[in-house]
Amino acid sequence: MAKVVVDAMAMQRALTRITYEIIERNKGVDDLVILGIKTRGVYLARRIASRLQQLENVTVPVGDLDITSYRDDIEHDADHDPKVSAANINFSVAGKKVILVDDVLYTGRTIRAAMSAVMDLGRPKSINLAVLVDRGHRELPIRADFVGKNIPSSQRERIKVSVSEIDDRDAVEIQQA
Amino acid sequence: MAKRYLILEDGSAYAGEGFGAGATTSGEVISNLNLLGYQETITDQIYHNQIIIFAQPAIGNVGINHDSYESILPTAKGMVVRDVTNISTNRLSRLSLDEFLQQHNIPGISGIDTRHLIRKLRKMDGPVKGSIVDVADAHAFDQLNATVLTNRQVDQVATPKPYPNPDTGKNVVVIDFGLKHGILRQLSERRCNVTVLPWTASAQDVLNLDPDGVLLSTGPGSPLDLGEGVLEMIRKVQAEIPLFAIGLGHELFALANGAQLAALPVEYHGSSHPIRRIITNDIIYATQGQGYAVIAKSIDRDRLITTYVDLINGTVQGLRHRDFPAFSVQFFADGAPGPHESRDLFDEFMEAMTAREG
Repeated sequence: MAKVVVDAMAMQRALTRITYEIIERNKGVDDLVILGIKTRGVYLARRIASRLQQLENVTVPVGDLDITSYRDDIEHDADHDPKVSAANINFSVAGKKVILVDDVLYTGRTIRAAMSAVMDLGRPKSINLAVLVDRGHRELPIRADFVGKNIPSSQRERIKVSVSEIDDRDAVEIQQA
Repeated sequence: MAKRYLILEDGSAYAGEGFGAGATTSGEVISNLNLLGYQETITDQIYHNQIIIFAQPAIGNVGINHDSYESILPTAKGMVVRDVTNISTNRLSRLSLDEFLQQHNIPGISGIDTRHLIRKLRKMDGPVKGSIVDVADAHAFDQLNATVLTNRQVDQVATPKPYPNPDTGKNVVVIDFGLKHGILRQLSERRCNVTVLPWTASAQDVLNLDPDGVLLSTGPGSPLDLGEGVLEMIRKVQAEIPLFAIGLGHELFALANGAQLAALPVEYHGSSHPIRRIITNDIIYATQGQGYAVIAKSIDRDRLITTYVDLINGTVQGLRHRDFPAFSVQFFADGAPGPHESRDLFDEFMEAMTAREG
């Protein structure tokens, strides 16, 4: 049984608020780059970039981070942490303020791997994390700077994020396992 | 019904039929272009001391219900309409418009070609005074010309004392400049535990209540007449607590952050202007009622971001502070009367408060 906890309107608002909070925190959009974590984080990252473009008339570089050995919707091997590849990023992150964007923040292992991948590319000035949903159950000392919605969840539940670019709609649902 | 007159300060007189109260009143004459919502309009305190001309030709046909009051004691000075109807088949109707106006001693006049009158008002400079009178003689015009319009509207309609509107949710302080009930209704729907403070409250008065959020309400008159104290309060509060401002509150928020205001050549009261939400580049409609607008060129872009703009007259309709979760809209986000599509600004306010808690 799935229950919608964030509908399309609320998702739009969350991304809008996150965009404004990014401007507040970074005192503008200078030196900002946005990196979306595949798959849905990429679309969220693009939406944030498009909002920044509307507001500030500035094109903020957007890149994709590819997760190679781990997907949220597949039972993963507990002994292996996810690997994140920054191979598709064709701009420099050195000295930049990096905003990592993911759909769901859970154990924190994906984010740790993403940060390593970004650091391998160069030394950013800072890394901030924006997530649509924080569901708790962290296994690493990681927290998000910008959160769309906190959804305290049981580990048996599944959080499903849909984005209209590749799914049939915008929504966040909770499913009982 | 008795023959009565609407007279204007330029010496013109319009004959019509009286309805509602038989009182003789004077005030600033303004036009309202909304098709719906005469009850919300006549009870909204932004129309304090004003005579409202309705462009919509049939007024009264849904009566008066007890869900749509925007104030307890309306203080508009009159209604000018083309046709007034006292037959209502609306299931919510409790009273006729005529009975309601009698209760509140507000005169109405019907049989006036309101659309012609509105066109004429658009060509006249600045605020236009008018009276609803029994006889349009020299004495009536002398009385009208001697009438001085007050600039203390906020003092006359806003609460002089704090009061609570308790619930169990977020703790919100509303600063009352003559608020419409729609604002309290939207906060109630979201279970906010509200304290309403008089507009003269200091920043310390606000902070002492330890609110999760602060809302600056709508209100009548000119924001330029309210003095520096309230601007100082806004500057201190916005740096500490999420802030949402509507209507007059928006104008004050702009002033407090260095922007300037200009009086519109003609006040705009309607809901037919498309308003662009810049961040998502989409269009919404909302009820608007404004005599002033923020001058776009005066906005300090290092302090404020323009968030909404009116696509018909180009006026700034929304602002947001760059450094704090503080934002404002010129239009009436409570949607009373509708369109309702901007009500989710109250959700945005709620989420700003939640985000602040972390």
